[in-house]
Amino acid sequence: MQQHVKPPREFDAIEMEVFSNRFMSITDEMGLSLVRSSFSTNIKERKDCSVGLFDGRGRLVVQASHIPVHLGSLQGGVAAVLENYKLEDIKPGDAFICNDPYLAGGSHTPDISILTPVFYEGRLCFFAANLGHHSDVGGGVPGSCDPSQTSIFAEGLRIPVLKIAREGVLDEQIIKLISTNSRDPLERILDLKVQIATNEIGQRKLVTLADKFGIVTVEKAIDDLIAYSESRLRKRIKEMPDGVYQGEAFIDGDGVGFDPCRIQVAIRVEGEEITFDFTGTDGQARGAVNIPKTALDATCYYTIKALLDPSLPPNEGMALPVTIIAEEGTLVRPKFPAAVGIRSTSCQRVVRAIFQAFADVLPKEKVFASSADMNATMIFFGPHKTREGSFVYLETVGGGAGASLNHDGMNGIQVHITNTSNLPAEALEIEYPLMVRRYALADGSGGEGHTTGGMGIVREVVAMTDGVRANASCEGLRTPADGVFGGGQGEVARLRFGSADGTVTDYDISITNILMNRGDSLFLQTPGGGGFGHAS
Amino acid sequence: MGNIRVGIDVGGTFTDFTVLDDETGGMRHFKVSSTPRDPSEAIGIGIASFHERGLNASDVIHFGHGTTVATNMVIERRGGKTGLLTTEGFRDVLEIGRQTRPDLFDMNVRKPDALVSRPLRLEVSERLGPDGEVIVPLDEAGVEEAARRFKEEGVEAIAIGFLHSYRNAAHEQRAAELIRKHLPDVFISLSSDVLPEFREYERISTTVMNAYLMPRMDGYLDRFMTRSRESGVNSKPYTIHSNGGLMSTETARNFPVRTCLSGPAAGVVGAALVGKAAGYPNIITYDVGGTSTDVALIADGKPAYSANRDVAGYSIRCPMVDVSVIGAGGGSIAWLDDAGGLKVGPQSAAAVPGPAAYGKGGTDATITDANIVLQRLNPIALLDGAMPVDREAARKAISAVAEKIGRSVEDTAWGVIRIAVANMARAIRAVSMDKGHDLKHFALMAFGGAGPLHASLVAAETGLNTVIIPESPGTMCARGVLLSDVTRDFVSTQIKRAQGESWTAITAAVAGLERQALDWLEAETIPDEKRALQHIVEARYAGQNHEIRVEAILSTAGDFANRFAEAHRVVYGYALDNHPVEIVNLRVQAIGHAGRPLQTVENVTGTMSDAKVGQREIYVGPEGGWQTVPVYKRSLMPQAEQFSGPAIIEELTSTAYVLPDQTGVVDIYGNIILNFVKDRA
Repeated sequence: MQQHVKPPREFDAIEMEVFSNRFMSITDEMGLSLVRSSFSTNIKERKDCSVGLFDGRGRLVVQASHIPVHLGSLQGGVAAVLENYKLEDIKPGDAFICNDPYLAGGSHTPDISILTPVFYEGRLCFFAANLGHHSDVGGGVPGSCDPSQTSIFAEGLRIPVLKIAREGVLDEQIIKLISTNSRDPLERILDLKVQIATNEIGQRKLVTLADKFGIVTVEKAIDDLIAYSESRLRKRIKEMPDGVYQGEAFIDGDGVGFDPCRIQVAIRVEGEEITFDFTGTDGQARGAVNIPKTALDATCYYTIKALLDPSLPPNEGMALPVTIIAEEGTLVRPKFPAAVGIRSTSCQRVVRAIFQAFADVLPKEKVFASSADMNATMIFFGPHKTREGSFVYLETVGGGAGASLNHDGMNGIQVHITNTSNLPAEALEIEYPLMVRRYALADGSGGEGHTTGGMGIVREVVAMTDGVRANASCEGLRTPADGVFGGGQGEVARLRFGSADGTVTDYDISITNILMNRGDSLFLQTPGGGGFGHAS
Repeated sequence: MGNIRVGIDVGGTFTDFTVLDDETGGMRHFKVSSTPRDPSEAIGIGIASFHERGLNASDVIHFGHGTTVATNMVIERRGGKTGLLTTEGFRDVLEIGRQTRPDLFDMNVRKPDALVSRPLRLEVSERLGPDGEVIVPLDEAGVEEAARRFKEEGVEAIAIGFLHSYRNAAHEQRAAELIRKHLPDVFISLSSDVLPEFREYERISTTVMNAYLMPRMDGYLDRFMTRSRESGVNSKPYTIHSNGGLMSTETARNFPVRTCLSGPAAGVVGAALVGKAAGYPNIITYDVGGTSTDVALIADGKPAYSANRDVAGYSIRCPMVDVSVIGAGGGSIAWLDDAGGLKVGPQSAAAVPGPAAYGKGGTDATITDANIVLQRLNPIALLDGAMPVDREAARKAISAVAEKIGRSVEDTAWGVIRIAVANMARAIRAVSMDKGHDLKHFALMAFGGAGPLHASLVAAETGLNTVIIPESPGTMCARGVLLSDVTRDFVSTQIKRAQGESWTAITAAVAGLERQALDWLEAETIPDEKRALQHIVEARYAGQNHEIRVEAILSTAGDFANRFAEAHRVVYGYALDNHPVEIVNLRVQAIGHAGRPLQTVENVTGTMSDAKVGQREIYVGPEGGWQTVPVYKRSLMPQAEQFSGPAIIEELTSTAYVLPDQTGVVDIYGNIILNFVKDRA
């Protein structure tokens, strides 16, 4: 086969590393500020947010992610700004806002991006960007995401790329529009303002950097950084034997029905380039488990980092040797107006399929059994305990990690594309009319093997007042995490509603908008991880 | 008879002693080799040497030490066998933690195993609500059953952590009482004593670590007390805690977890006092050792504090001086990855095999080698000539890297230093940003062996105008012990709106804390005139889940709201009008003034020309190339005479590099103060 090898661009090894630290210093500051000054539990405690810097052409320079599935959304947002606005219409002091997966590179509606152009000597040189997961942007259910939704219009407010600030003047009307469409308007107002202020920090620091070292030097360093990541990834890909490697995984259902949906991936390694081809994946789902483009990109980049080079600097160079192919109208490239709110569940299964494909090509010590790669969420909604109005409280629950050659899988942990913290039981009981009855590891839920899969988590929450509503969704209620090289499967997830009167109902699908009165409880057990090798 | 004060810092390699004569103000420093197996041994050896140094152990009126005993015990997993008793349904909280994995992308990076294994984590039926109300009464029979299990298992220490015990300690206290009946000799640690604050994982994890440390720490403190007594020291010995104050041996026995950051905290406290005396209340400390660099922020004379930190991967929460550690020091190795990127650290040549130039078997290029190649470090010998240096070996190590990136040896050595500096500068910016400060109001205080060598470069990178190199920069931590006060923090979680009727409850809670603080000062036998209380309120806007510190004595709700808004503006850059403020934690720090103000040092006779002991060619950068610069001997440098860079200043354990655009002067405390000629901020 003809090998297409692009000679890597020369870069200055010293300047590149020095500037890498300087750029990361800026995203450090933005990230610290965003987390510390935000209001919602979701951003502040769970750190469901990311920050990044781009050059004037929209190329990613550096991203500080707390959550890998955000790896793509900021890029999508910046690209949308450059597509939708003429250069002369982008002015110093402007800031853009967007969330829409179809119009603005978003990955689901609650993730709202703020993108701020940064000018130097009158020229658009950079973008400072951040996104935060807002706990509610309206729509059919509290939290705006639910597997059973069948249209993006049921997932809350769609925001195309808009100017939220014009030449330094904040558009309070847009903020009002957004907050009005949320079940917790105050949080929206405060967090959006913090997001805008966060980019202003990035903007000031970028200008200082250019003042100090000269814009030419800074821009050359960006080219160097991108060239470096590209050349480093090309080396990693080249180490693998050429070939086509297949993987597949299933999700429990399409969000509405019970038929498993198949995700198919063929990974083609050709010299220094790699292609993720999802041809053969099932058609788009009726429910909200479809994966928009930026979320699929992010998922593929995550697996590249996780399996090939965990410390690869995440910038534009990481994307250059990679091709992602998905047919329109499938689960991994839905057509408008398909719902996408629960895309992270399917993204986790995309990771499973890719890990499986790579198991045939990687050395054994780099292979992992399947993990509890679901996004288990519990959402509670009801009247506030301490102030007027209503609350929305979202919790994601970790599970068991897959076993590897030398280690049992980690117990009760977030895997792959998410890494959100829990809310302490004490914090939630102070804030909301709820009580945590149990937060524990699920005994024996890890798959057997030479090394054992990690245990899932049991979380049981009781309503302390009447009129609380809840959603609970967890992938893996029917499809367990597989072992690898003969290791056993982990236990599947369990979902149970307990009435105050003692009656118990088990579910093998998600629960939506269920009424909880005082003493009623919701029980979720997340899946265990798969085992590695035969048990001796 | 004299009055002498002794400060000791027990480090990994050396145990440093600083001795201050209260009458003459004379200070001296000496070191003995550390004895890691029993660190108190080195302390004994040091005191035993007092006599030959013309000191008398019975003259000691103040005796304190900083120690890494607890930290090492955790790192090496040498604590006692520990059990945990917790609320039914929550025994795995210790292991799940915040359910996050330590590395986003690398699944091979694992959390350390919990300090209490799963079979030793027992549950008991009991439950409190968020207001401390009893929802399920304590199952006393269940507690006794657990005690029997613990006994069978032969645990040495037990942590008790129940939900919401920060609001009501009755269940924990009763459980401890019942357990003691069965296990009178076991160490017991209650979460409501160790950390009466909400957020169960952090509280239980801290309590578990406390229990885990108790048995061995108790033994260590016994030996420490015995050795100091046997050596003739009659003064009550103190230990420095992570918050930079001293505590009695009794307190250290009960709360060993509070010593996890003992040594570095002492250095920061010392730096704060040295800076304040010299007229620099705002300081970033920059302590560069062989394998790592510690950075901390001091604003308005007060070290910045942090409430949370990981020790060897375990989350602990207690008030502590906020010290950030970066994996870059003099021994950090420069290496090239296979994509052609030049990296420095975190691998270090450490003491063995050491930098290539030290001739102890090291062949890798380290930051120290780069400095020797560029002749910023003496290319012939260090330690006043006692330690020969092999410049050719350093050059060889650096040229191996230079060949791979196709650059000259000088360029490469210069690049290695710049990369290390950029990495350290990033940490410094993060430290200041985290607390909402603008770096241009800060001076950089450099200590540790390699701090003064890189400080000016780091200052230039971060936009700090002033660099301070204190006297004897290698012994800052031991000096800090001498300058510290006796302190203890008392805390109460009171999640209440700072307004209306809850204000009464808040002020009552503060009064309760003040009583506890005064009782403790009494028990520590601190005389009245040396007592002080400091009030700290941790609060947030209602709806937030992250607190900020406000140092304020509570007067009225309105006054507090104003102070809070001001503090919020400092930290986050804005405040909210008419948004209710919620108090989270009330803290009172009890202070017994024990320290002594910084002494001025005697001036030397002579001028800077007399202090110039030589000159050598050093590489100042690609523009300036090689230049001949004067070499000064620090001990000969007179006060108040200005000098200009470029220059090298050598002393026994440290070398300072002064940049071409800096001027310097020695102040009356013996500090070298360097300033950029042109404002760099």
